[in-house]
Amino acid sequence: MAEGGDVEWELSKENIQPLRRGRAISALHQALSQQQDGVSSAINQQRQAFESEVRMYEGDDPLDVWDRYIKWTEQTFPQGGKESNLGTLLERVVTRFTDEKKYHNDPRYVDLWIKFAENCPEPLDIYRYMQAQGIGVTQASLYIAWSEEYENQGNCRKADLVYQEGFKKCAEPHDKLQQFHKALQARVSRQVMMNVEEDDSDNEPKQPERVSLADLKHRGKKKAIAPVNRTGHAIRSISGGLLSHGPSVLGNASNSRLVIFDENKTESAGPSEPKLESWVAPPTSKAKENEQRPERWCDVKLPQKSKYGRTVMAPPPPKPTFQPFVEETDQPPTMTPCKINPAVNTVLSSRKPCREETPLKRLQEHHQQQKEAESGKLQEQSMYCKELLLSGATEFCFEEVRAERYFKKMAQESKEVRGQKDEASASTSN
Amino acid sequence: MTGSNEYKLNQGPEDSISAVKFSPSTTQFLLVSSWDCTVRLFDVVTNTMRMKYQHSAPVLDCAFYDPTHSWSGGLDAQLKTHDLNTDQDTIVGTHDAPIRCVEYCPEVNVMVTGSWDRSVRLWDPRTPCNAGTFTQPEKVYTLSVAGDRLIVGTAGRRVLVWDLRNMGYVQQRRESSLKYQTRCIRAFPNKQGYVLSSIEGRVAVEYLDPSQEVQKKKYAFKCHRLKEEGIENVYPVNAISFHSVHNTFATGGSDGFVNIWDPFNKKRLCQFHRYPTSIASLAFNNDGTMLAIASSYMHEKGDISHPEDAIFIRQVTDAETKPKST
Repeated sequence: MAEGGDVEWELSKENIQPLRRGRAISALHQALSQQQDGVSSAINQQRQAFESEVRMYEGDDPLDVWDRYIKWTEQTFPQGGKESNLGTLLERVVTRFTDEKKYHNDPRYVDLWIKFAENCPEPLDIYRYMQAQGIGVTQASLYIAWSEEYENQGNCRKADLVYQEGFKKCAEPHDKLQQFHKALQARVSRQVMMNVEEDDSDNEPKQPERVSLADLKHRGKKKAIAPVNRTGHAIRSISGGLLSHGPSVLGNASNSRLVIFDENKTESAGPSEPKLESWVAPPTSKAKENEQRPERWCDVKLPQKSKYGRTVMAPPPPKPTFQPFVEETDQPPTMTPCKINPAVNTVLSSRKPCREETPLKRLQEHHQQQKEAESGKLQEQSMYCKELLLSGATEFCFEEVRAERYFKKMAQESKEVRGQKDEASASTSN
Repeated sequence: MTGSNEYKLNQGPEDSISAVKFSPSTTQFLLVSSWDCTVRLFDVVTNTMRMKYQHSAPVLDCAFYDPTHSWSGGLDAQLKTHDLNTDQDTIVGTHDAPIRCVEYCPEVNVMVTGSWDRSVRLWDPRTPCNAGTFTQPEKVYTLSVAGDRLIVGTAGRRVLVWDLRNMGYVQQRRESSLKYQTRCIRAFPNKQGYVLSSIEGRVAVEYLDPSQEVQKKKYAFKCHRLKEEGIENVYPVNAISFHSVHNTFATGGSDGFVNIWDPFNKKRLCQFHRYPTSIASLAFNNDGTMLAIASSYMHEKGDISHPEDAIFIRQVTDAETKPKST
């Protein structure tokens, strides 16, 4: 059994998205073994259970259900993707509780926000939004995630500033924040050190090294024979050659016709912005295929006008004298289980693709709408409980919501009946 | 409140009404399924309940197979057929989740059920037994039969068109042209298209033929909205029923109104008086002289107190249902 699971895991490693907190291996095995045949009904049932719990919850900590639902989703859909609905879920949960002040510095809620931000194209905007709304401002995890994002983008100064902000707000837990801050400082200083080392090494006198595409001094009088030893003094001059070394390249750009790309040099430059290439002539478009090259036109015959004023075309090729053989059975099958012609298909989905909108924008719009609703500016009002139908990742209809209530009531009644029976049996045994 | 052309059925269900369906061949028999776990058969001419049978849980839909057999399913996920002559029950089969819709397709002679387990199942009514399970992308909310084609409306605003003679593949996958949840789909009696209603006061008229010229004819319109103090209240459109002769249709909304529409001239033919509560289901009888109107609160706004559930039978005239020739 365990072996089978191991194989499964080996086979689909590339389909598993990394998770900050790691994954339960048992959940992973289960998820992977179920994946062969799409989303199983067991998963659908579990999801449905979560969906109804999200709607029916009556306790004082509704976030708990969402937290469990999202954790379950992460574990059950290791490959992520649209099917998991994770993006929708995160968006729903963060929007849902934006007005609940009691959750604003709840570590679970802040974690959900961070997950949401990581799912977004622009995490920094989300972190800024969180700060502006006062969500997670006393939580160390916000500053850590925020700073890491800056660091990933190569902005170490901002990354440090974020930590400073965190210290100013007395974010908790303090130790964790400090620890991560120190780690950042260590990384930055190590990087600086390494850069310094590299710079130093550049200035050191080098071992004689062969240089590519350098002009060599010739030996011999009549014929230019390249020397056997092609390093050091044998090179005529560095500046005059095709390749110039280091910073001198740019200085001599006007002299040299080409700047040769040296892969060894780019390492020290690091992932910096692409520099302007000093091309003398535009690059030839060798990459293009099937392009007609310019050629002489004098041999080309143009269609001539005849004396009747009509263009004379080349006579069409004579019809073949033989009958091409066509196999009798060679007919397209009458019924093909095929998709509909995409050209036709577009007709059927008439709704225009909705305009590009980022999750952040939707959040802000939601906020705006709520304010409008409070001030009574709303023009339209839906005459049903929108919350109940649409609060989860998938929608419910009235009947489903009511069915959930019915099942809950039934379960309660049967429990009561059982309890009464137990009591009755207990009393008779006594 | 009821005039001479309309009366309330006696001995109606004790809880919300989920569906009303007229007999395919006689004008007088009406099946009613309800949340009180029963299916009832009414003789609307004499205004009496002829029969009643039970499910173990609320019933969400019912349908006639022939004048003497009814089929029904609901929250217990069991599909039942009931012989209305002998008053005998048979459990035909089950779904993995509650059954939401039950329909009969006379062209292919097959019963069709749709369920929240994301499947449509076909049933041979003669044996009776399961004749295939077909997975849908989402929970089935509504379905309708147009000749030998099956139109399925699911959660996520999807619409799938199946060919009942060849269920090997989906003939058309569509997206609802309305922005909000699909509430009801009913096919035109002329089999050329269907009408789809949404949860937010809108109805779309769509055509099955995918060619560009035909698709150009489709349209949608707003309805079942009431303006109160400058705010427009938008109600779900829960029920659609077609007039078998004129191809006009009635819609019922949670505002308690019933409208009759002429889809060809894009006109409203008439609106009846306001019923006590939401219109949960509508059915024209086979010759289009009567309309059964189920006025029953559907818990759209949660479990709150509401007017009594009732079924009204209304005599309709050609003036109310026939397209005005221009």
